[in-house]
Amino acid sequence: MDRRNFLKVVAASATVMAVSPSMIRGNLYAADGMLFKAYEKVQLVDAAGNPIKASALAKEVTYIFNYPHASTPCMLINLPNPTSKDIELTSEGGEKYVWKSGVGKERSVVAYVAICTHQMTHPTPNDSFISYVPTTKKTMAYDKSGVIVCSSHLSAFDAGAGAKVLGGAATQPLNSVVLEHAADDTLWAVGILGSDKFQDYFKSFRPELKEFYGGPAEAKKLVSISAKTVKLTEYSKEIIQY
Amino acid sequence: MKKSFIFLALSFLLAGSLNAAGTDHRTMLMKDMRTMLDAMEEIQRGGLYSSTEDMKAGVKKLQGTLKTLESEEIKFILPKDQVYAYKFAQKTAHMLRLYSDDMIVSIEAGRMDDALEDYSQLLKQCTSCHIRIRNW
Repeated sequence: MDRRNFLKVVAASATVMAVSPSMIRGNLYAADGMLFKAYEKVQLVDAAGNPIKASALAKEVTYIFNYPHASTPCMLINLPNPTSKDIELTSEGGEKYVWKSGVGKERSVVAYVAICTHQMTHPTPNDSFISYVPTTKKTMAYDKSGVIVCSSHLSAFDAGAGAKVLGGAATQPLNSVVLEHAADDTLWAVGILGSDKFQDYFKSFRPELKEFYGGPAEAKKLVSISAKTVKLTEYSKEIIQY
Repeated sequence: MKKSFIFLALSFLLAGSLNAAGTDHRTMLMKDMRTMLDAMEEIQRGGLYSSTEDMKAGVKKLQGTLKTLESEEIKFILPKDQVYAYKFAQKTAHMLRLYSDDMIVSIEAGRMDDALEDYSQLLKQCTSCHIRIRNW
């Protein structure tokens, strides 16, 4: 390859990376303070395998899909109002990073890892102590609703601002799932923003993951191509919300 | 007059027995909690002295206390301001059973690292519940 062709390849690669960070894997600590880990880009689909359309999502309903691992639940919510933009968040290790905003026409669709950053409470097929509290309901965890609440120890997270901590024992925001909203209104998960606790989760819930997924290898398997997305009420037999 | 007296006496009797039932449940909980503490100490001692028999005996003792926490009876036992959170207590009991069952499986398989990790998780469940229910 001559010098000119080499430069062309470098320039083309740089352009691709700049347009779609999900093309690369690994941690990115960019100059703008963003902490991001890219995983395989997967499409959110319903139980029948049909693509989820952002505009078809019911408002203020918690949907669940597993990403980036087969056993790591994430919540998808279509909020009643447009989300805030460029929220600076801080991990419990003190790292600063920026949550850009929700996606969709109204910028109201958000996704977060549904593993509480306090003691890793998460939805299981049996029950869920963590969910979004619609604006029509009340919660003991915070004086306003329209927030995400972990009912184990009453931590509250701002659903419209990168899941930053509003109250309770949690010391860092929920991790965000970075979503891409395509021109055809479909939704794609491309990575995780924030300091994740996936390895602690696999270690702490080994017996439970064995029960539901068959073993650690199956639980850690990375999700590929698509992620089945269902309502929390279909994912868990019982929803506990205080 | 006679009817009123009988009604009053019956009311006192009913109130007394309800109070006694509440006290009985609380006494039972305190007894269970002390047994759980003994069980955890036994498991820890087994782990530190490499005695799988002590660990298994501790698990058996611990699991003997879970029935009350797992049942609806838990509502009568919790502090009044925490009764609403009985599902959380039940979930904790479920997790205690899960980790203690796994500890036995891990011991039998000779995976002591996993067994000791189960002990850590049992302790975490205990403290998690105390933080919540006892407003620690």
